[in-house]
Amino acid sequence: MPEIMNPPSSSRIKVRPATEREGRKDYISIRDYGFWYGQKKALDAISLDIPERQVVAFIGPSGCGKSTLLRNLNRMNDLVDDVRHEGDITISGRSIYDAGLEVISLRRRVGMVFQKSNPFPKSVFENVVYALRVVGVRDRAVLEEACETSLRKAALWDEVKDRLDDSALGLSGGQMQRLCIARAIANRPEILLMDEPCSALDPIATGKIEELIHELKDQFTIVIVTHSMQQAARVSDRTAFFYLGKQIEYDTTEKIFMNPSQAQTEAYISGRFG
Amino acid sequence: MDMSDKKPAPAPAPESRFTVSPMTLAADRWMGRLIRIGGVGVVLAVFGMLAFLIYQVFPLFTGAKVAPVGALSVPAAAVAFGEDEYGDFPFVVQSDGKVIFQRAKDGSKLLEWSPTLGDRRVTAVRSYPRSGLVFFGLSDGSVQEIRIAYRSTFDAAGKRAVEPSVTALEPIAIGKPGLPCVDVWNAKGAQSRLLLVRQESAGKPLLTAVRLTERKGLGGKAKVTVSAPFVVAAEVNSVEQVLLPSTAESLIIVGKSGEVRTYADDGTAFTFLQSFVPFKDSKDTAVASSGLIFGNVSVVFVSRAGEQQVWSMYPQLQPDGKSLRRWGKIHDGEVLAGAGEGVYAAEGNKCYIAVAGGKLQLRNMTTGTLRWEGDAPAGTIRQVAFAGNYDRFTALSADGKLHRWSIVDHHPESSWDAFFGKIWYEGASGPDYTWQSSAGSDEFEAKYSLIPLLYGTAKGTIFALLFALPIALTAAIYVSQFLRPEYRNVVKPVMEIMASLPSVVLGFLAGLWLAPLVDPRLISLFCAVGILAPAALFAGFLWSVLPQPVRRQVKPGMEFLWLLPFLALCAYFAWQAGPAVEAAFFTVKDTASGLPIADFREWWRQTTGETYDSRNSLVVGFVMGFAVIPIVFTIAEDSLSNVPNSLISGSLALGASRWQTVWSVVVPTAISGIVSGVMIGFGRAIGETMIVVMATGNTAVMEANPFSGMRTLSANIAVELPEAAAGHTHYRALFLGACCLFLLTFVINTLAEILRQRLRERYKVV
Repeated sequence: MPEIMNPPSSSRIKVRPATEREGRKDYISIRDYGFWYGQKKALDAISLDIPERQVVAFIGPSGCGKSTLLRNLNRMNDLVDDVRHEGDITISGRSIYDAGLEVISLRRRVGMVFQKSNPFPKSVFENVVYALRVVGVRDRAVLEEACETSLRKAALWDEVKDRLDDSALGLSGGQMQRLCIARAIANRPEILLMDEPCSALDPIATGKIEELIHELKDQFTIVIVTHSMQQAARVSDRTAFFYLGKQIEYDTTEKIFMNPSQAQTEAYISGRFG
Repeated sequence: MDMSDKKPAPAPAPESRFTVSPMTLAADRWMGRLIRIGGVGVVLAVFGMLAFLIYQVFPLFTGAKVAPVGALSVPAAAVAFGEDEYGDFPFVVQSDGKVIFQRAKDGSKLLEWSPTLGDRRVTAVRSYPRSGLVFFGLSDGSVQEIRIAYRSTFDAAGKRAVEPSVTALEPIAIGKPGLPCVDVWNAKGAQSRLLLVRQESAGKPLLTAVRLTERKGLGGKAKVTVSAPFVVAAEVNSVEQVLLPSTAESLIIVGKSGEVRTYADDGTAFTFLQSFVPFKDSKDTAVASSGLIFGNVSVVFVSRAGEQQVWSMYPQLQPDGKSLRRWGKIHDGEVLAGAGEGVYAAEGNKCYIAVAGGKLQLRNMTTGTLRWEGDAPAGTIRQVAFAGNYDRFTALSADGKLHRWSIVDHHPESSWDAFFGKIWYEGASGPDYTWQSSAGSDEFEAKYSLIPLLYGTAKGTIFALLFALPIALTAAIYVSQFLRPEYRNVVKPVMEIMASLPSVVLGFLAGLWLAPLVDPRLISLFCAVGILAPAALFAGFLWSVLPQPVRRQVKPGMEFLWLLPFLALCAYFAWQAGPAVEAAFFTVKDTASGLPIADFREWWRQTTGETYDSRNSLVVGFVMGFAVIPIVFTIAEDSLSNVPNSLISGSLALGASRWQTVWSVVVPTAISGIVSGVMIGFGRAIGETMIVVMATGNTAVMEANPFSGMRTLSANIAVELPEAAAGHTHYRALFLGACCLFLLTFVINTLAEILRQRLRERYKVV
């Protein structure tokens, strides 16, 4: 598979040597993290480490703060008025709130796939290469190569290769979501955030996306928020359970589902509340 | 069963619980119908309006309806005729001077009168049908004037009886004694009357004239003084036709070879003006027939081949640099069916009857259009005369018939070319697009070209949009994408209030406050406008280099507060610096005092040669822009705000900056709404009336000059409709303007809608 060229951007975080990336256990490190929407405290004292190139699932009932935490990893919550935080989140040792770190470069490093697929009203091709366009790539060959690579990674290439110039809005729901994944990985981020990526999809499309997550974890660190405990069990290496803005339990997925240490966790995964 | 004891089955519901009440059904049905009626009604109203406009405009483009009314048998010896106001009692004059009155109804004779001349004979007859004057040229070179009068009496039953009377005046000796008159003419100048006779003396034409000056005594009879006879145009060798305008200001002599000599008469003497050969490029240069058109400054010449030319007096640049009124060709008319046999002008408009090749053609001189064509009656046409109100014309043919036609032609001056083409009007130095609907004189020819008005409409619209669109669209982007919601909720209603400002208020402000304010400080204004955009960018740059801790002091979203005083300060300095800039770049020599003055207006006039009006297109564009901004802003802002947040988040999450997000995601997604906002603003600017009426000079000029005024179609209707007579050409021309406006907005809106639908299809959001 051809490699995507690294987009020329000076604001991009310096890529660390590959040796250091091998299995770093505290790749994303969240420390005593609290978050407020206005007066309402949405997250309280969250502390967890996400290892490199693993899939971490956030589970918990609605309103438990799992999506809020996910959206803070690339500072998407900055768009919301009147929010504040305490504690810190670091990615490979550097705080995402570092004054010298432009939020744009953070987001180029931390890609995101949303709950509801949100392709732009553009062609399939333009959707995929959007991130490359915004960093100023003009070379058609580079764009086409990136497009094919990303679509192949997102297991969408064979389905859309003949209609790259058609509107992305003509795709099916599952295809659109995979297109959004292709779009997110086209810019070669290091981390991929997925906010309930399959909640609007049928089981077949869901299966395809889950397969995709399996394949992508070789290259990306993936954080996924999901309502489906089966999905968390199927795709993730580690799972964090949140309840009412608090981190109840964080461990390997096997441990969480087979032998949770907290009663609340057991109650949730066995379906007794939530 | 036990189960049923524990859980009693619900009582069977009465059927009525599920039936829909007739009221609901009726309301549903009736509201459906009402809505349908409303919808169809709107469409019908729009088409009804268009139908009404077309109904009003349609008569402009129909020709004249001319129908023969009948032919009256008159003595074959009749050479001239005349008639009363209603054409009921025409008279003919025989070559021997006998005047015979007949009833038009049945041809019965009413009165016969013969001149008593002793041993003299009548050798020439000229009748002026409209004034009831007949002149006899006599065999001894003298001229006798005959006055025809009609006296109406009413009998006891109220029936009108008309009694014609003939008064013969004492003959006046004019021509060379002993030579018979060949022709005679009469014209009434400002001070005196001119009588002109033509005789043949030794094979050469001889034109002799006298002036008759009438002095009214104190209550007594008018006393007429006759001047001594004087020879006119003695150098002329041949005379085919003499044209003497009824105002006696000039004299046109057409020679046999086709040479035309013109003379000017100042009331005391004739001076040679100019000679020309209208058909000098044709094989046969002779002029077959010619005639003066109403207004006495244009002549239609027809050649033997039927070619037509219109010559008129208009200011022409002479070799010495002076501009003098001279004769020149203004139109080449259509070629007629045969040699010209006569050109007879209507009274009160520029139409004429041309007789040629067995056809009668009613033509309009100015536009050159054929209003009507019909077969000429048998026999040579001796004379044609129009009724004063252009509802009938009469022709005397040599076979003793007086033919009469009725005319229905309410808009003789209108034609497609008159409204949309370049027309060379009488007195103008060239063909032009002119709108000038009224003037003081009766002989004035109204000019109804819509082109200057369309031009003014386009100019006003373009200036307004040039000003409004950048402001409205950037404001919409800023407010919808960058401004904090709490401020957006203030800005939007304020802009909507701005939209509800009556345009008459804006026009009032523009005309009475802004124009006088801007007029002397134009350069200041330019400086202020020119400096604002760089100043805003500079302020943004300054902000970005401020240290982070200082910037953190300001609440996010309040950054613009930093911009405001900065911009105000810059604008103030620019305003104050204006006079200095003016002095540095726009100093010219004052034409009156010869001293150098710093005045942009004078500089503009002298440098470009264009006009400078204080109520100019810039002021209109500025204020009309104000009327357009809120509409464009509101619609564009709505559609920008409606771009789903998920798209914006998606773009931002991919590492796009906010501006990249706006430019490559938000604007394309909202483009259909932005386009419709622009188009509605466009429509508003096109139809805007009061601002233009009040803030421009309303001069229908076609100049791209930003410092001159304009007149738009809508302003034209507003200004002139109150004084246009219903059904008149002016009135219908205004409706034609309305029709153009309607079609213009209709076409633009349709195109905009098609464009919008296409864009919406392309950028639709799931």
